[in-house]
Order: sequence, then structure tokens, then C-alpha cells
Amino acid sequence: MSERNTALHTSNVSEPAQRGVSEPVQRGEILVCEHLTCGYGKDPADHPVLSDLTFSLEEGKSLAILGANGCGKTTLLRAIGKALPYEGSIRMLGREIRDTGRKQIASMQAMLSQISSVYFSYTVEETVMLGRYLYLEGLFGKPSRKDRKIVEAALVQNGLYELKDRQISELSGGQLQRVFLARTMAQQTPVLILDEPTNHLDLKYQEELISFLQEWKKGVTILPDGREIRHTLIGVFHDVNLAMDIADELLLMKQGRILSKGEKAQAATNGMLQEAFGMDVASYMKKHLSFWG
Amino acid sequence: MIRAFLAESDVNRNSIREMQKTMSTVKESVKIMTSTIIAIALVLLCMGMGSVQIPVGDGLSIIWHKLLGQEMPAGIDPSMVSILWEIRMPRVITAFFVGAALSVSGAIMQSLLQNPLASSYTMGVSAGASLGAALVIITGITGTIFGMFLLPVAGFSTGLLTVILVMAVSARLDRNLQNHTIILFGMVFSLFVNAILTMLSTMESEHLQRLVLWQMGSFSGKRWPHAGVVCGCAILGTLLVMRYHRELDIMTFGEEQAMSIGVDTKKTKILLMVLSSFLTGAAVCFSGIIGFVDLTIPHMVRRLFGATHRVVLPMSMILGGAFMALADTISRTLLSPREIPVGAVTAFVGAPFFLWVYFHERRA
Repeated sequence: MSERNTALHTSNVSEPAQRGVSEPVQRGEILVCEHLTCGYGKDPADHPVLSDLTFSLEEGKSLAILGANGCGKTTLLRAIGKALPYEGSIRMLGREIRDTGRKQIASMQAMLSQISSVYFSYTVEETVMLGRYLYLEGLFGKPSRKDRKIVEAALVQNGLYELKDRQISELSGGQLQRVFLARTMAQQTPVLILDEPTNHLDLKYQEELISFLQEWKKGVTILPDGREIRHTLIGVFHDVNLAMDIADELLLMKQGRILSKGEKAQAATNGMLQEAFGMDVASYMKKHLSFWG
Repeated sequence: MIRAFLAESDVNRNSIREMQKTMSTVKESVKIMTSTIIAIALVLLCMGMGSVQIPVGDGLSIIWHKLLGQEMPAGIDPSMVSILWEIRMPRVITAFFVGAALSVSGAIMQSLLQNPLASSYTMGVSAGASLGAALVIITGITGTIFGMFLLPVAGFSTGLLTVILVMAVSARLDRNLQNHTIILFGMVFSLFVNAILTMLSTMESEHLQRLVLWQMGSFSGKRWPHAGVVCGCAILGTLLVMRYHRELDIMTFGEEQAMSIGVDTKKTKILLMVLSSFLTGAAVCFSGIIGFVDLTIPHMVRRLFGATHRVVLPMSMILGGAFMALADTISRTLLSPREIPVGAVTAFVGAPFFLWVYFHERRA
């Protein structure tokens, strides 16, 4: 993010601004989960998928959540995004998610999930413009010159400018995922949540996406109150190698509980990975790597 | 020097982008204006067509003098005035706004449920309204002013009641009101209510013909009070829905994505479903069940003008209205003096037109 924008106040939420980081800023905790219990029943404590999770994440860090299928990774992301009711506490930037409005949450965190079906075909530019939803004013929400500039910057950043008038139904999976990424960039949030974003992408696009995210996390978002928040990533990945590549910290989960959490070197010991996945992960990786000599 | 050159090329690039933007906006506006003019012309033409042909000039003169409350000019047959003003205009206007309401409602349901096959009837409005109408027909209360509005009011109320039941049961079983739950319960309720309707029809066989005809849809005998109510409901409903055009755009990408962009999906979904059912209920109660329009017009509009609801909603209203007015005109003129049920005409004319749009119209 090279462009520095001035903060704008709207009727809904105040808009942050973003730029690349140049000087060190003091770090605080951006996400704090305490005794988090969550499930899909009528009451979060009935048949919980997540049980009594407590952890925190410093701003500017990237956290990869790993674990076998059904261990509660996506449920955790859904709880952080207020898509599920929960017991305990989830605080992002000091705000309890449960008591925070949907728009306010969307000004703090954007989500990039795996490619979804496209039922109705919008143009690339129209799709990216949807990321400006929070900041559109007036009865019919017409984009301002500033919204257009932000969208244009997101399109250029993701190499989509030439495709801006194309229908998204005509794009390849990799291009489509870039469109959704550009939309989250247009949302201008300090936290990006990733839900298996590389699924269905070929190796080239996986590499491109990871490089882009590594560059993005070097930036900061300036909140309307003047606080500079370093970009933070929270992601669920199936691919352990990708998780290791992008993350500063790992959260290993098993059956809705935390196995280990911390810097990846400490958290991802072979013993822990073996317990999380129920197999010898290191041997598996080595076996497959042996093909390449 | 290099910096100045770069700055200049940046300015040039920006002005080219601005120009491209303006050009595409102008192109879109021309397309919208042309379609709107064609739709209005078609509606006026429909008013002139029938067993008594009314020339366009005479028709416009009659409408003009009536609107201004002036004496009709000499040379215009008073019976022509009566046919146009008392019979054709309310009928065509009712048909127009029924088509408009159904098309807008269909567009909402397809986007909201992320299902191109969803229609304004998915939530069970038609089945509920048919049951309400059947109860009135069987009791035999008609003929008076009370009777004139009893059928539509009963249809409207039972249609909405069915939707409320579908939503209440869906919400009870699925807190997040997911699309598949709503579609499933909409279908289950529709089938259940249709079963009651079939039983009623069997038990009261002397009313069977009227019941079947009501379910096939017709604009026969519609007067200004009908046109006024449908017009008011369609315009009010569409304006309220327009307020949420951006939310509809976002929700076509799925609820989780919509939430992460900042849309209160549950609240928006309930509100838009109520508005959609209101539009369908208002349309169905005056005309009976008319299919096809609600399903296909929104798709045609998306094909012609793109998927953004800022354009899809008003253009569905205009083109859906014009299409219904045309279908009704064909239904009353093709085998005159007999009338073909308008629901059959919408499918008969609409299906080939739908195919033509899909195969020949490609967006640039």
C-alpha cells in the first residue's frame, strides 16, 4: 500500500487509511480470545466445537491455524467474524466482537475465503467496488472520487486493471481469487482473515498470493483516532508448507482445543504436529520432497 | 525533467480513464433510455389494440383530455373514450404493475437466495394466496364493492401468512436462516398448502372452473381501483427495495462474504423477503398466479444491462411491466372474443424471447 489517504468520517463508521510501514511502531495485542466456547447448537455450550480457547495475537503478526479436518479451525474464524454466537470473550482492537456492530467489525477485519461460486456476473470493477460498501454515502450509495481511486489502486496492485470491465464469470480461478483479494484490499482493514484461500489455485497463483500477502503485512492502517495498526493476518491453511511460509506464529488445534500456540519453531514440533494430524507429518513431507532430490 | 514527464503521463492516463468511464456511463444511459422508451411505446400500443382498434393519435388525445379534465374534441367517438379510459387503460396499467412487481420480486429472491431458479413464488406466496382465494370463491361472496376487494385481500393475507410461517419455521430450525433451509421449507409449505387446495377443489367441484381460472391468471374486468392499488404497491415496494440495492449485490456472493463486508445479513434477508412477498402478494391477489415473468425477466435484464441491482431492479420493473402488458394484450386479442389465460401467454411468448436474448445479446 503506497497510497496514503486521509481519514474520512461517514455516517456509519470512520474510515481508516493505509500505507507502507517505514518506522517501527509500538505493538499491542490486536486479538484476544479468552475462554472461548462455541458451537452450532442452540446454546454455544451445547455440543461445542470449540472448548475454552484462550490465546492472543500481537498486531503485525501473522497467525496460521492448523489442525486436522473438523478440529474447529473454520469455526474459530467464524466466531471471530461474528458469524456464530459464543461464550467467553473475543476482543479485536479492544472491542468485544459480540457487542460490536457488523459494520464496525468490517472496518477492522476483511475475509478472503476459498473461491466461491459466482451466480450472477458482475464486472471486475463492480466486484472490487463492493469492498467500499461501508464508506458509500447517500440513499443509493454512489461511489465517491475517493472510492474510485481506492478501487483503482486495488485493481492495479493485483494486476487487474486491464481486466476491470471483464465479467467475473469469464475469469480463471486464479484471476477470480485476485478479484476477491482486491475487494478485501479496497475494504482497507488492518486485519485480514484467510479461510483456505489457496484451495483450487494452481501453484503459480498460490505463490503469487503468498508473495502478495507477505508484502501486504509489512504495511499499516491508520485508524481514525490516529493509532497506527500494523497489518495482521489470521489464516486457516490445509497446506502445512504454505502455513509455515506465511506465518510468524502457529495455533495447532485438536478436537476444538489448543494443542500449542507460539512462534512457529516452538509451536510446530514434530510431536505436536503428529498429535494434531494423527500422523508423522515430518516423515510425510520428507518422503514427498525426496522426489526432487 | 523525468519527474515532470512521469507526472504528465500520469495526468494523461487519468484523463483517458475518466474519458473511458464517461463513455461507458453514456453507453449504459443510452441503453436504459432506449429500453424505457420502447417499453412506454409498447404499453401505449397495447392500450390501442383490441376488438376496437384505437389509433395512437386518438388514444393520446383521449388520455390528455381526460387527465386535464377537459371536454373531448369533436370527432372522437364517445364509445372509444369509454373503451379506452374505463376498460383498456386500467387493465393495461394493472397488467404493467403486476408484471413489474413480480419481476422485481423475482430479482430479489434470486439474488438473496443465490439461486437463479428462485422466483417470487419460492416462499409459498402463490400457494397461500391460492388457498385464500379458493376460500373466498367457495363462500361465494362476490359482486359488491366488498366482494371486489375481498378476493384480493384474502389472497394477499394468506400469501403473506404462508411466508411468515415459512420464515418462522426456518428460523426456528436454522438460526442463521440459510438459503437451503428457506428454499426447502418454502417448497414443503407450498406443497402442503396445494394439497389442502386440491382437497377443497375436489369437495367443492362446482367452483372448480373458477378456481382453476384464478390460478391461471387473468386481468379481465380490472378497473381503476385495482390499477391504483397495484401501482401504489409496486412503486412503494420497488422504492423500498432500491434502498438495499448494494446489499443485494453483496449478498449474491454468499452470506459469509456479505457479513465480512459489513452487511447485517439476517436483518437484510428478512426485510427483503418481506418486501418481495409484499410485491408478489399485491400482484397475485389481483391477477391470480402468473408464472415465468418473475423467473425470466430478471435474467434477461442482467444479460442486457449487467448484474448490479441499481440497474437490475428498475429495469426489471419497466421491462417486466411492458412484457406483462404485451402478454395480456395477446391473451385478449389472439383468439378474440375468447381469452387465453395470461400465464400461458407469458410462457409461450417469453420462452423463445428468453432464448433469443441469451443467444444473441452479449455484453461488451
